Amino acid sequence: MDEPMADAPGPQVRVTFTTTEADLQLPESKRQLLVPADIRRYGLSRILNSESMLDTGSIPFDFLVNGSFLRSSLEDYLTSNGLSFETSITLQYVRSLIPPVYEASF
Amino acid sequence: ATHITEQQDENARPLRDYSEALELWTTFQTKTQALSQSLSSQLRLILTPTQSTKLSGSFRTGKRLNIKKIIPYIASSYKRDKIWMRRAIPSKRAYQILLCVDDSSSMSSADSNSSAGRLALESLVMVARALTVLEAGQVGVLGFGTDVFVAHALTDPPFTSHDTGARVLQHFTFRQDGTDMVRLLRATIDQFREARMLQAFGSSGGGSEDLWQLALILSDGLVQSKDHARLRPLLREAMEQRVMVVFIVMDDARGTNKGHSVLELKEARFGPDGIPVIHRYLDSFPFPYYLIVHHLEDLPGALAALLRTWFAEVNS
Ligand SMILES: [Mg+2]
Repeated sequence: MDEPMADAPGPQVRVTFTTTEADLQLPESKRQLLVPADIRRYGLSRILNSESMLDTGSIPFDFLVNGSFLRSSLEDYLTSNGLSFETSITLQYVRSLIPPVYEASF
Repeated sequence: ATHITEQQDENARPLRDYSEALELWTTFQTKTQALSQSLSSQLRLILTPTQSTKLSGSFRTGKRLNIKKIIPYIASSYKRDKIWMRRAIPSKRAYQILLCVDDSSSMSSADSNSSAGRLALESLVMVARALTVLEAGQVGVLGFGTDVFVAHALTDPPFTSHDTGARVLQHFTFRQDGTDMVRLLRATIDQFREARMLQAFGSSGGGSEDLWQLALILSDGLVQSKDHARLRPLLREAMEQRVMVVFIVMDDARGTNKGHSVLELKEARFGPDGIPVIHRYLDSFPFPYYLIVHHLEDLPGALAALLRTWFAEVNS
């Protein structure tokens, strides 16, 4: 009945997704999510693109947190801002302008 | 073993201003008066035993022989034949109830009128008052976040004065930067074990009272998922110790919290193939007895229904 320990995830952070892009809105029930704390924009993009979220295939997304682009893991963002895992992070997603070549180096 | 620190942590963690806490208690007590009365009258029916489980007395017929009467019976040449015991007196029940309030910062929000923290404190006042009116037994309050603290010991005086209540509310500021539910359960089980021993030691009836121990956890329900598996053995241990744990999820549906219900909360994990899999957070929630409260008015009925079910299961 118990889940095997191997399945136990690492620390998680609660995020709320928002966007201003009219064609990429999530239904209200999908905006709140717990994600692995070590996640970066690539992982977040994969989640948003997945079938149970936007089902958009492979659009590269960028994420704005408090007005700046997320360029570290969420965990690093919390640490460098003196925030704890109790904090819910609001992530505004936009279509990435970074060319796909750069994407491959992530 | 868990360490419950009282003195040190009180020095480290700032308390809420006393007069502010007093005003909060007074406001909440007035606001929840009717609900509290409703809860206490529902609980009275549930917590007071109606079935006689203890055998006693001297009768001509009955369920079991009263050993003390056998020798006089023989000595009287079988004339004193009231040698049987019957189920006559409902066994007296004693309760020890711990209200465990989540003091972590996920409980607070920018809008202080609609947050899990505020709902938890209102619930705390309502339940504490209902139990005090019932005179059901000892009531204690624990706070938890990164660690566990005692805001009101089981042996402290009941919540009959606003002052007692205010001193408890002073401890809750929702600034702890973690939610260690494993530590809370460990501390709860340990507290109850100690309280049970004290009760057995102190009761003049030689342990004739039937002791029931109940923990009510008031929290937003946000626990690191990696802790879910670690909580299960502790929940089993609590059950073996006959400690009932009820998790009351504070899911404030007022104002700005709309659309942020824990019922909707999802969880994303990456499979070995790197593909994200999304689950409902509550699907792996390990507490067998939990209820979700969106409005304070939901709590009396929901809690009474859950306890009624549980007592029926235990007594069957
Ligand atoms: Mg928390």
